[in-house]
Order: sequence, then C-alpha cells, then structure tokens
Amino acid sequence: MEDERSFSDICGGRLALQRRYYSPSCREFCLSCPRLSLRSLTAVTCTVWLAAYGLFTLCENSMILSAAIFITLLGLLGYLHFVKIDQETLLIIDSLGIQMTSSYASGKESTTFIEMGKVKDIVINEAIYMQKVIYYLCILLKDPVEPHRISQVVPVFQSAKPRLDCLIEVYRSCQEILAHQKATSTSP
Amino acid sequence: MVSISSPLSLLIYLALRLSKAPGKMVENSLLPGRAIYDFVILLSSQFGFILYLVWAFIPESWLNSLGLTYWPQKHWTVALSLYLLITVVIGYVLLFGINMMSTPSLNSIHTITDNYAKNQQQKKYQEVAIPALRVISASEVNQMLFLAAKDLYTKN
Repeated sequence: MEDERSFSDICGGRLALQRRYYSPSCREFCLSCPRLSLRSLTAVTCTVWLAAYGLFTLCENSMILSAAIFITLLGLLGYLHFVKIDQETLLIIDSLGIQMTSSYASGKESTTFIEMGKVKDIVINEAIYMQKVIYYLCILLKDPVEPHRISQVVPVFQSAKPRLDCLIEVYRSCQEILAHQKATSTSP
Repeated sequence: MVSISSPLSLLIYLALRLSKAPGKMVENSLLPGRAIYDFVILLSSQFGFILYLVWAFIPESWLNSLGLTYWPQKHWTVALSLYLLITVVIGYVLLFGINMMSTPSLNSIHTITDNYAKNQQQKKYQEVAIPALRVISASEVNQMLFLAAKDLYTKN
C-alpha cells in the first residue's frame, strides 16, 4: 500500500513523503528533497566567473579564466556527488532492524543499518541548530553493558529536515511497529 | 557603584574582582570596604589615563629635561590603543564562535540526557503526596505529546 503527501522542511522548501506499508511489521518512509534549482546554480556560476574575470583584469593571465571554468565544473560534480541528497529513506522491519538510505544527486547511495537489538526507541527531539530550535527524529541506541542507558543518538532525515507535522506521521508509524516488536519479544 | 568610564578602569576592576575568592562575590555589595575598593579603582584609572596622555603628547625633550628618561617608545602609544580596539572587535566574533561551539550537535547525547538524569533515584509513588520532582525520559514525553493527544500538534 502506497501513500504520498507533501510537507515542508524547516526552511520552507517542499518535501514529498512517500509511505509504503509492505506488511504490519515492515514499513518504509521516503522523503524527497527539493531539486537543485537553476537559479542558485546560475548565481554561483556567475559569481565565480565574475570574480575570475576581475582577477584576470588585475593579473592579465588567461590561465585564471580556464581555471575558473575547471573549478566550476569540478565543484558542481563534487557537490552533486558528495553533498546534494535527493532522497532519504527509512525502512523499519520489525524483528530485523532499521535501515537508512541516502541517495545523492549523482546516483550514489549510502546505507546505514541498525539491528533491532540495539534500538531502544525512536523519539522526536528538539535541539538548537544554527540560529533555530528544530524538531528532528532520532533513534536512541541501547548501551550493551546497561540496557537502561542510552549510548548513542542517531538522527534521521538529516538533510531533508522536515517539520513537526511530517515527523509526527513517521513517529506514529514507527511506534506502532516498535510496540508490536516489544509485545512479540517479551512473550515467550 | 563605580562607573566604568575608561577601558583601563574596566581592566583594573576585572583584575581585582577575579583575584578575590568566589565565595565572597555574594557579600560584595554589603561590605563597607566596597566603597574604598571603588575609590581605589577610580584613582588608579584616572592616574593611569593621565600618565598615558603625558606619555603620548608631551615631547621627549621636555620629559628628558625633567629627568624622566626611561619611557617606552612613543610608537607604542598608538599601537597599544589600536591593539585594544581590535581585541574588542575580535571579542565579538570570538564570543559568537564560542557560543556556536558549545552548542551540542544534533547527534550528541547531551540533547537527550545528562549525568543528573542518569543518576537520579526513583522514589516510591505515594497516594496522597505530590510526586517528587524528577526528570522524565524522552520516550515518555514523546508518548504523552504525540501519541496520546492526537489533535494537539496536527493542525497546520
């Protein structure tokens, strides 16, 4: 079963949340970030080239212009491959674990998997980020030595940064699965 | 109450304040010694300022004829005041940076709990009395806010 809704992120950009219910114990949430806008791309390219032209008029060395073109191209490729995330996915499987996938604009995907034995809870936490206070979803991991302590905090949807309404949807679905998991794990 | 009229008096005031024991900070406004303390700062800061002006403006020859020969170079009159000004400007940037550095990052455990919350004692629940003050864990707070009260946060 698939479901798509649109939300907004903390800066006001549009996000699309796709929810897939594969089974009562397996769900996937897919957040699509806004694409690289043509406006910002042209703005950055123009500033870099104008700066290079300004340097050229000072130094009279034409290598600066070709270097600027090179830098712009390499910078764009590096940005698309290492920085710009297109889609973030959270897959929860009841007895197995939680998998987070980030797909970059160049097609690269990076995946993190956390097994269910390590997961203590998924909560919505508030923290100071730059000059704002934001809500973000995070996975709390158990301490292997002492199960009641929290050893690590893993934030999810780090580059999409959705607002509270989107987070509440994801939080409720995750809590249903975690409650289901706790019920089945404590029963003999 | 002394009015901090010059940066010199501010520096002297800070140096004297910081050299006292922290336990005495609370009583400072009640001690009669406070007025003497302020007066010392006033006199020393005014004296320091007059000395600085003398050093900066009166020509070397006049000072030498008075017998005062061992002064630092006059170049330092401008240099020191300029250094002080730049330090103040950098102080603004530095304070902003220190603030940003001491804010815990999003994946830090300090946004969820701290040593006090980890070590708190669980007191027994008594029927009639008000429950003791304690830190509620993030999981419980989330359940109360987002699972129990369904329409509290879902309005757009």
